[in-house]
Amino acid sequence: MRTTVIVTALGPDSHGLLAKVATTIADQNANVDDVSQTVANGMFTMIMFVSFDQGETTIAELKDALEATGEQVGLQIHVQHENIFKFMHRI
Amino acid sequence: MVFITAQEILETVTMIRSENLDVRAVTMGISLGDCAAGDSRRTAERVHAKIVRHAGRLVEAADELQEKYGVPIVNKRVSVTPIADVVGSDDPTAYVEVAHALDAAADEIGIDFLGGFSALVQKGFTRGDAALIEAIPDAIGGTRRVCSSVNVASTRAGINMDAVLRMAEVLLAVSKRTADQDSIGCAKIVVFCNAPEDNPFMAGAMHGSGEAEASINVAISGPGVVRNVVAANPQASFIELADLIKRTTFKITRVGELIAREASQMLGAELGIIDLSLAPTPAVGDSIAEILESMGLESVGAPGTTAALAMLNDAVKKGGTMATSSTGGLSGAFIPVSEDKAMARAAADGNLPIEKLEAMTAVCSLGLDMIVVPGDISRDALAGTMADVMAIGMINSKTTGARLIPAAGKQLGDWVTLGGLFGEGPVMKISTAGNSAFVRRGGRIPAPLQSLTN
Repeated sequence: MRTTVIVTALGPDSHGLLAKVATTIADQNANVDDVSQTVANGMFTMIMFVSFDQGETTIAELKDALEATGEQVGLQIHVQHENIFKFMHRI
Repeated sequence: MVFITAQEILETVTMIRSENLDVRAVTMGISLGDCAAGDSRRTAERVHAKIVRHAGRLVEAADELQEKYGVPIVNKRVSVTPIADVVGSDDPTAYVEVAHALDAAADEIGIDFLGGFSALVQKGFTRGDAALIEAIPDAIGGTRRVCSSVNVASTRAGINMDAVLRMAEVLLAVSKRTADQDSIGCAKIVVFCNAPEDNPFMAGAMHGSGEAEASINVAISGPGVVRNVVAANPQASFIELADLIKRTTFKITRVGELIAREASQMLGAELGIIDLSLAPTPAVGDSIAEILESMGLESVGAPGTTAALAMLNDAVKKGGTMATSSTGGLSGAFIPVSEDKAMARAAADGNLPIEKLEAMTAVCSLGLDMIVVPGDISRDALAGTMADVMAIGMINSKTTGARLIPAAGKQLGDWVTLGGLFGEGPVMKISTAGNSAFVRRGGRIPAPLQSLTN
């Protein structure tokens, strides 16, 4: 079963942030399905739809890896199953 | 793939990270109807075994969901069949023994509170009810996690004033028994009118006789989210403000619905209810009082507070009922003084007297909640205060509760720290005008008319 999570990253902009986050996701055997990224007033905001198969990784593993990357590059990174967004914003 | 906009995603993340959005409690209700075993030791063993069997994975499941959705699930709890209906003995020590079994089970499964050391006596006492009430000081004073509630009134039965007086005595006994901890035992006792059978909130949670074998009841939260929406729209008219609150509580409640659905599946329990209550905590920004103040009141308690609370409470319910078909429990904004930093401050400043809180009780849930009163308060003054709260619930066909804490050794104006989620607050003034000739008349205040309702 394929799981889709939404990864959000927020923090001060610097070079190579998207690449570092995407590399961590690839290292976890997960796939970036969609990405949007903006920089406004020096603040970096990125939203990624990331999916993976059972056995490739888990939400917990992905979260730990991304939080570690976030600490290195100064980003707050959150990983949440897509259903919470569907439930909150759609009937 | 359902299309979700970037704005919606960031709104959710902000609610959780910056505005204290959480699921306040996932409470598993468990029927103990089949645990009665003739003697109290065997009953206690069966009670313990059944709770551990059903709720052994409760904390683990809630933690998994917290990880999956990134939303904190603050409390994991259990409610059980009112113990007066389980033990069926007229010996108070039997109830104390079962209370210790409840405490041990709660400890074993890793939860902080378990509710249901309860009796329903609105119309009269069985011998078992009387024994349970007699056992409360030892049961609550001698355990850490067990919570007690006694339903002394209902719209259909009236107010059992004998029970009100008895509970005033019990509170004073528990106050003395836990005097070395600022009488914290009293924070684990609720006196109810029209107690709901599916309430997930402590200390009043119980699993009523109309409930399933095991069910999951979820309490939503999010005062901080609502406060920020209100504060961001200072020019909004009342209609616009109500719409904004409704939209926000819809979203909050959907989180509760999602967690309830998955938790009930994971634990093999029925999906019980989603409780649409806004519940504060002592954390800054997690306050009902601050929502009311954001509406334009200088302090909670200012003229207009009851109207503001009525509007808030109604809008929360309207938004919430669109989000789930399983509403239940208390479903209304809470006004627990010590658990809400801004409310405790207003009470200490003299802006929020007990009479104003009583008026607010008429338009929201739950009643005079977490109110510290002088330790030397008389039994009759305590009973009269509780009777007033019960009367509001009885006449208005709603749940009201009293959670009063006579803090041993504390006087008017003292500050009492109860700790943790119980918070802190001032000792509040209750009129000392005599009422003994009234409260000691004995018997029951009759059930009210349900027509001619002005």
